[in-house]
Amino acid sequence: MPRPLSDFRTVSVIGVGLHPYQRPSDTPYTQLGVTAIRQALQDAGIEWSEVQSAYTGTATTSMGLSRLMYRHLGATGIPMTQVENASASGSSAFRQACFDVASGLVDVSIAVGVDKPLNFSMPQSAAGVRDLMGGRVVPFTHFALLANRYMHETGATAEQFAQVAVKNSANGALNPNAQRQKVRSLEEVLAPPEISGPLTRLQCCPIGEGAAAVIIASDDAIQRLELNQSRSVQVLSSALRSETTYENENFDAALTRDTTAEALSAANLSASDLDIVELHDAFTVEELLYIEAMGISTPGQAAAELSEGQFAIGGRVSVSPSGGLLSMGHPIGPTGVGQICEITTQVRGEAGPRQHKGARTGLAHMVGVGAVCAVHVLRAA
Amino acid sequence: MDRTAAKPGLYDPASLVPQLNGTRCSDCGATFFPPLQTGCEECGSTGLTPLKMEASGTLHSVATVHMHMGKDIEAPFTVAEVALDSGPIIRAMLAEPADLNAIGKRVSALWKTTKTDEDGNEVVEPYFTLSTKGDV
Repeated sequence: MPRPLSDFRTVSVIGVGLHPYQRPSDTPYTQLGVTAIRQALQDAGIEWSEVQSAYTGTATTSMGLSRLMYRHLGATGIPMTQVENASASGSSAFRQACFDVASGLVDVSIAVGVDKPLNFSMPQSAAGVRDLMGGRVVPFTHFALLANRYMHETGATAEQFAQVAVKNSANGALNPNAQRQKVRSLEEVLAPPEISGPLTRLQCCPIGEGAAAVIIASDDAIQRLELNQSRSVQVLSSALRSETTYENENFDAALTRDTTAEALSAANLSASDLDIVELHDAFTVEELLYIEAMGISTPGQAAAELSEGQFAIGGRVSVSPSGGLLSMGHPIGPTGVGQICEITTQVRGEAGPRQHKGARTGLAHMVGVGAVCAVHVLRAA
Repeated sequence: MDRTAAKPGLYDPASLVPQLNGTRCSDCGATFFPPLQTGCEECGSTGLTPLKMEASGTLHSVATVHMHMGKDIEAPFTVAEVALDSGPIIRAMLAEPADLNAIGKRVSALWKTTKTDEDGNEVVEPYFTLSTKGDV
């Protein structure tokens, strides 16, 4: 029978680090990654030689990229593996690192997300899958279709979608690692260029480059290395699901609903226990859809509750205090690991001007085309 | 002058009005478009049989695409999600721009000639339309 993560050894995040997300540049991915890793090591207060396994979430840079990066920390011979799961690559790498520690295979593992937007490929052509659209539906149009359907079903307006980007721009402006750091007004978000359906440019996430790193350890390691227990953040649950057939129900929402329910149940929590949610807001409509699918709002209510400020920093539950994919950015491999960095920072109370007061419990959510959904729940020590 | 399919295998360009080449699972009865060859997504059965599907249904959602990077594809164009009368929701081109008010309305496909190939054949695709008469 499948067993939840909590049946195994306690797993905690002990260190986080980031290289700012940014427009594509000449910076080698190795430098992006090593910057994030050195910061995470410093944050944890350990040496690279203590890290016993490494998982690299990456999807758009190159095959076999791990060792060329980690060697700059001193080659220790540890196992290192790339993890590709589209937008959920980083989340999936984090999950594997958690499993290494939970199972007792190792005491300290690292999950790193790193990418440069060099090679985007989709499997349909190699799978021999043909459809009537022939490449005319790219992700922003997939979500434009969802947005119009959501408006039809709930009466939500284009302005209410745009409010998601307004909120997340205010959060991103407080995050030095965000790719977009400008506060945007409703008028600015709604302004052209129009992209697809109701989505304008500022309602679509920027895809750039960056890196994020998270170090995970067992209680044994925390004691042996004499680390600050009060700064460790426990990983309560990890859920990863793939799409099934949903009788014509919107599969993005259904997959998020099922995966979040599994993760919350495994953590013995309900949606109302969450202080922080970092979710896959690649496009504004997604935030409203997923807030409802997670059970944070009842169906059709997310737009109104957003307008009331319930999802702002300091609101009922802070949704994407990092700025989310819309403002912090979506460099693909790093994104899911970066969410863990933000939740760790928030529940430690170390988020400075974007601190959500009293944050203790956070949920990280990514979807990847295919489709898969990854959800992790973390709690302060 | 003959008609030829822009997306071979997905429909028969010789038919008077577009019909779609779907799949039915002979074990669980699930229907699919685009067609599946290797196994049923619902139950894993390899008992898949071809199924002609009428290209008619209701408009489930719609989006006008204003920007597109793909080669040979010029924006703006309008994409539809159609809940086919035979079951599945599919994606196809809509012949005319439409807004939210069109969601829930009846749509059916007509042939649209997207180009003429080197042998002089009309290259056709099914385009859905809200209109009940005429060509698209």
